[in-house]
Amino acid sequence: MKKRSLFSLLLVLALLASLTACGAATQAPAAEPAGEGVTVTDMTGREITLDKPAERIVALTAADCEILCALGAFDTLVGRGEYCDWPSEVLSVPAVQSGAETSLEQIIALEPDVLLMGTMAQTAEQVAALEDAGIRVVVSDAQDLEGVYTAIELIGRLMGKDAQAEALTENMRATFADVQAQVAGDGSESVYFEVSPLEWGLWTAGKGTFMDEIAGMLGLRNAFDDIDGWAEISEEQVLERDPDYIVTISMYYGEGPTPTEEILSRAGWENLTAVKNQAILNLQNNELSRPGPRLAEGAQMMADFIAAERLENAA
Amino acid sequence: MRLDRKIHREGETSLSLFLYPREGFGPGTYALMSLVTAGVLLLCVCLGSVSIPLREVLAVFSAALRGAAPATSSASILLSVRLPRTLCVALTGASLSLCGASMQGLLKNPLADGSTLGVSYGASLGAVVSIAFGVTIPGLPFAGTVGMAMLFAFLSLLLILTLAYRLDSSLATGTIILIGVIFSMFVTSVLSLVITFASDKVRQITFWTMGSLSGSSYANAALLLGALLLFGGVLLSHARELNAFAIGEDNARSVGVDVRRVKLTVMIAVSALIGVCVSIGGSIAFVGLVAPHMVRLLIGPNHKRLLSASLFGGASFLMLCDLCARLLFSPRELPIGVVTSFLGAILFVIIFTRTGRARA
Amino acid sequence: MKLLEVENLSVTMNRREIVRGLSFSLCSGDWLMLIGPNGAGKSTVVNAIAGAAPYAGRILFRDRDISGMKSAEMARHIGVLSQQHSVGYSFTVGEVVRLGRYAWNPGPFSRRSGEDERAVSEALRMTGLSDMTERNVLTLSGGELQRTFLAQLFAQEPEILVLDEPTNHLDLPYQREIFGLIRQWLRTPGRAVISVVHDLSLARRYATKGLLLCDGTAAAAGPGESVFVSRVLEQVYGMDVAAWLRELYGQWET
Repeated sequence: MKKRSLFSLLLVLALLASLTACGAATQAPAAEPAGEGVTVTDMTGREITLDKPAERIVALTAADCEILCALGAFDTLVGRGEYCDWPSEVLSVPAVQSGAETSLEQIIALEPDVLLMGTMAQTAEQVAALEDAGIRVVVSDAQDLEGVYTAIELIGRLMGKDAQAEALTENMRATFADVQAQVAGDGSESVYFEVSPLEWGLWTAGKGTFMDEIAGMLGLRNAFDDIDGWAEISEEQVLERDPDYIVTISMYYGEGPTPTEEILSRAGWENLTAVKNQAILNLQNNELSRPGPRLAEGAQMMADFIAAERLENAA
Repeated sequence: MRLDRKIHREGETSLSLFLYPREGFGPGTYALMSLVTAGVLLLCVCLGSVSIPLREVLAVFSAALRGAAPATSSASILLSVRLPRTLCVALTGASLSLCGASMQGLLKNPLADGSTLGVSYGASLGAVVSIAFGVTIPGLPFAGTVGMAMLFAFLSLLLILTLAYRLDSSLATGTIILIGVIFSMFVTSVLSLVITFASDKVRQITFWTMGSLSGSSYANAALLLGALLLFGGVLLSHARELNAFAIGEDNARSVGVDVRRVKLTVMIAVSALIGVCVSIGGSIAFVGLVAPHMVRLLIGPNHKRLLSASLFGGASFLMLCDLCARLLFSPRELPIGVVTSFLGAILFVIIFTRTGRARA
Repeated sequence: MKLLEVENLSVTMNRREIVRGLSFSLCSGDWLMLIGPNGAGKSTVVNAIAGAAPYAGRILFRDRDISGMKSAEMARHIGVLSQQHSVGYSFTVGEVVRLGRYAWNPGPFSRRSGEDERAVSEALRMTGLSDMTERNVLTLSGGELQRTFLAQLFAQEPEILVLDEPTNHLDLPYQREIFGLIRQWLRTPGRAVISVVHDLSLARRYATKGLLLCDGTAAAAGPGESVFVSRVLEQVYGMDVAAWLRELYGQWET
């Protein structure tokens, strides 16, 4: 019980932090020197030159949306991809279809200077069509933490907010250094990341995911480090690998058992170390699945969770 | 091809028995089929993405039978994961195969099956609607979903057959499959729509279109068994009527079958059984098509044998498919429908060209 | 006593009255031929008696209304051979013929009785199929298949046979064979046949009674000699049928 209230506190703090970040941004643009040209190279190697920092932006991916807000540029956001949901005030911004059903019409209607999109939805035809409509397309494609830093710097340059971008990445690096020192695992403990619950078929995050990278940073072993990317796995493999910690990213919709309770109640799972110790962390808000600034928060939550578990086990 | 019939004949001496041989299986054949199915079940429980030595498997089961299951990961894997899942797979395979065989007889159409006619997608839609809009029966949390799946399966079957009769009263193979395909596409799109608007409550679309029996429990197996005993029993008791329908609906009426009553009874039993299977394991395609086909090639079309042999054949077939789904890319797992559709489609083409050649 | 009595039979399909107020009856030993041009309603009459089409009016078997009978009971009295036969699966001849006994012990728990065995072997013997019981029906010729269904009908042991074009599309030897079989079956007292036959010469050859249909009503009915008459046929067919048939068959005189 105590543990959960700690997490909710953390969640509220995280929410407040991003709110203030966005709130602070409202005054920021006035201070920026206007009329200055900007040239960036996006993450697919295309060079994009703007006469002045972007003032109207549509961000299709949730991570880019979070980066924009964290840089204090919420007020430049005129449209968002339909899955962008963090911080919560972006929900007031018009949504456009994204991913496989990216709608060029909806984007053009919003008259942005710049469209931020991921590699998933991007095609040469779409880019050409948007450039014809006078919209500059910038593609971000972060595959690891270094990629996230690059994306933050890229978006910072685009907005004329290099300083804020640098501060943000510094801040993240500092948090990661902190949690690394705090947990300092020796690779003997394992963690199982559950991306989709048993009812829907078990999915986990293997090698090459942010969850895997952060587990490695903390000195934990990803129980499924022999799998690439996200994949459906056998239930019996989880039982066989007997993880010390379980991190689930299932959402809770307010009815039925919570994701943590559901895992604790699974038949045959009662002998797992993580279940016996009730060492289950539920990250409900995509902290560890989006290549954005909140990865640091997610890492911090994992570190706090592991510290609390260790304390409990020692007692 | 007709091994069984030849064996029967060798033992027969009197002329009357030659003219009027036993149509169903003898107890020996049933014992053999049960033994083979039990063997496949054992194989599927012994093998998995985690390898457990046979000695340990036996130790765990003998301990469990004495009521003292050890608290090891092997015991958890065997007793809580593999056994309930394999039981559910076997019962689902048996049920779907029985439904397929019955529909193929009733409609005199070797391509009829819950998946080709779109009945299982109808059942999926019923289940999804009941979850999304919270249709429940008080006190029985799962009954709302199962009931709605059954109801929608029945309505789908009714709609498809009514349309088919309207277009072509002889119910030609092509017409009914065409209507099934159109209906499936329509229902799948409605299904996607409902899931889009209730994605927080309903399982994702792949479950409802590809099926999955991972995470099955003993309670699921008990429900499947109950449904199979009840509705499967109804189907098995209509073997002679299905023979008459398989020769032709006119012929069934002519020999004195109550055509309307039998058709309705078989349709209700088939829909109910498919509804239960779908609400537990999603819609698993091709099982009801392939298993009865293979069985028919081995023992002929007489439903007195076909229905019961399809039960065992379907159970074994789906258990082996599930084994492939679990083993092929271990530790990854495939949706079971991927395996059945893949194997099923290949086998289906082979069988179809063969029977076509035999007829020509 | 009359075996079958049809009173004021009307059949409406797709809001069109295909049969209108038809009445006729059958006695033991009768072979009633339903004749008439295409679309006169011959097959519809057969379907109504078979229970395959809803109708108005009454059909009585031995003074009992057949609409009140259960399917199996009805099949024990009236056996129907419908026009189309294509079997979808590789049943054996024996399996198809044995199904004729369904009406005598319907339901899931059938037991084979000596009576069943006798009826089946008798039907097989009559139709000359005794040596073919294990043959796959998909490999049969058209005539053999028709004989198989006739054997099923004989095994069913009804008192009335209702046949819709029993020799349609069959070669002449089969035609003669099957009509011969039916006439042989009819020799037992208490039996009657009603059949739709398109070929007027064939119909006239075997009929004891005729019923000429035109637009769903009886244009002529009665003993064969009163129906198969040049003047009557000419009114319905709109041509001198008898003259045309004489011309056709005259070719064989030389």
